[in-house]
Amino acid sequence: MKTLILAVAIRIFIPLFVIFSVYILFRGHNHPGGGFIGGLICAIAFIFHIMAHGPKDTAYTFFTIKYFRKAHQTGRSSVSSVLVLVYKNLFRKKELQAAPDWLPRQWRVDPIFIISCGLFLAATSGVFGLFLQQPYMSALWADMYLPVFGKPGTPILFDLGVYLLVLGVVLKITFVMAEE
Amino acid sequence: MQHILLVLPLLIPLYGAIACLFFWRKLGVQRVIGVVTQLSLCAASAYLLYKTDTTGILTTQIGNWQAPFGITLVSDIFSSLMVLSSAIVGIAVFVFSLRGLSNARQLFGYYPLLLLLQMGVNGVCLTGDLFNLFVWFEVLLICCFVLIALGGSKPQLEGSIKYVTINFLASSFLLTGIGMVYGILGSLNMAELAVLVRSAEANHGLITLASIFFLVAFGIKAAIFPLFFWLPASYHTPPIGISAFIAGLITKVGLYALVRLFTLVFVLNQDILLPIFLVLSGLTMVIGVLGAASQVDFRKILSFHIVSQIGYMLMGLAIFTPMAIAGSIYFVIHNILVKTCLFLISGVVYRTYGSFALKKLGGVYLQQPLLSLLFVIAAFSLAGIPPFSGFWGKFMLAKGGLEAGNYGLVATSLGVSLITIFSMTKIWNEVFWKKKPAPTEEAARVIAEANTAHIGVLRLLHLPVVVLIVCILFIGLYAEPLVNLALRASEQLLNTESYVNAVLHK
Repeated sequence: MKTLILAVAIRIFIPLFVIFSVYILFRGHNHPGGGFIGGLICAIAFIFHIMAHGPKDTAYTFFTIKYFRKAHQTGRSSVSSVLVLVYKNLFRKKELQAAPDWLPRQWRVDPIFIISCGLFLAATSGVFGLFLQQPYMSALWADMYLPVFGKPGTPILFDLGVYLLVLGVVLKITFVMAEE
Repeated sequence: MQHILLVLPLLIPLYGAIACLFFWRKLGVQRVIGVVTQLSLCAASAYLLYKTDTTGILTTQIGNWQAPFGITLVSDIFSSLMVLSSAIVGIAVFVFSLRGLSNARQLFGYYPLLLLLQMGVNGVCLTGDLFNLFVWFEVLLICCFVLIALGGSKPQLEGSIKYVTINFLASSFLLTGIGMVYGILGSLNMAELAVLVRSAEANHGLITLASIFFLVAFGIKAAIFPLFFWLPASYHTPPIGISAFIAGLITKVGLYALVRLFTLVFVLNQDILLPIFLVLSGLTMVIGVLGAASQVDFRKILSFHIVSQIGYMLMGLAIFTPMAIAGSIYFVIHNILVKTCLFLISGVVYRTYGSFALKKLGGVYLQQPLLSLLFVIAAFSLAGIPPFSGFWGKFMLAKGGLEAGNYGLVATSLGVSLITIFSMTKIWNEVFWKKKPAPTEEAARVIAEANTAHIGVLRLLHLPVVVLIVCILFIGLYAEPLVNLALRASEQLLNTESYVNAVLHK
């Protein structure tokens, strides 16, 4: 279903949906909202994009990390070469595009990766209590107040995990169904 | 310390599954993760059992919300025994699946699913909250659904549809029962329910009505007569590694929940409930074993035997004396090990001879004497011939039954043992003893494959069977530790005060 109207409107709507979903995620601690509903809202943005442009385009635009990698590694340890790789890709990308010995590479982020990150975050949010001789999933709060964020604590990790998990599951289902 | 100990059986498989998800397409990495996870799960469960046995019932309140409001994890001896035996079976099935399951199936998330299934089983055994019990059952069943359908061959889909439909029905019964209990008593924490039920103002009639919902729900999940028809129709369809784990463990988890609830919460109208249990357990034994006697397929015979053995486990609950319930507990543990072992043996036979049908098999005794010996030990254990493990379970049940004066049920159980030997002899005669018939095309292909396969592959398939047989021999020949554990566990079950105190008043 390729329609021009949807394709144009989606450019405005995607950031809107994503920002709104993050807002819903953070307000969830004391008000209606939270990770589950936030993840669903965030997924809507990408579902619209799939409807307008097809799954391959969406996967390429949003879920592919494009980076540069040096063709020959010479005499460096793997840790330092990885550090150089990350640093150059983050801050010196323009130089790399011109450099002949850095080749463009792609890494497609599969939704399953998002799912497992979410699960890991949610499961790990409970572990912190265990280290302090408290039961699993005991909420720990820091004694400070950040301007927009509020009071940081472990429950937000759980919500963030649920957010990623829901986003990943919905995306996986949509990608599979759209490709058929 | 107990906070960590109680969540470890849940966290280890969960983290294992997450790590496997990170390496979704890399089978080699998943296998390494699987080995590490299974071994550490087994160690954690063993330590949990040791701790529970030495220091008494352990509890932790998830999220630090105190007992009747938050979710409690409780481990007494019975539940930690279940966790440990499920971990042992998990290792065996995992090792078997390395070579016993096709790579295509393994790639579709077999290892994460197996780990999540184990997490579900441990969750059911450790939870102390009625609704949480329902949630863990759903975790477990959804993993079972996917595992049974994994690979998507036609008989598998047929079997999984039957399994899904009937089990969702059971879950809805369970949910209705939980809703009724909450409506009547206003709590879902099992320890608090145990207190409320025994108070003066409890409405006995309504509580008994609610308990029937639980009986039906867990009756379906544990495959009790007359609700067992889904089991022989679905358990023989998936590949052997999967069906061994599900067949060995899942029905016993249903039975565990039944024992837990009907010793802790629904103990009031025993003059109504116990006769029902008595009739159900007798009929389950007889019908199951008669079904087995009429089958001619290796795995279907074993599936019907699951039903029959469930009757024995229910027998302890029906007699309701400490000795009989200890017998049930011993029998559950014994049966988890033996049944998985027999299924794995049928898998080894299939891998080498390409069939489960008794008619097409034969002559295994001459070619694989070791496997035949292992089968004999497992089959004798199942039938309950001394000194193997089944004997002690049946002995305790029969002793408890005779002491309580249930002569009819004891006689039935002994008669059923005879028919069990008969159908095991049938497998022995047909598969191991008789002359080998000319192989069919498919069988010939598998045999050729097995002959060309590396000898290490077949050794690896034997390894889990040998490990399980060693466990069975250990609890049979040196039964005292497990019998004592079972006796202590049944005392804990019947003496509900210790459970209530551990949960509610630290």
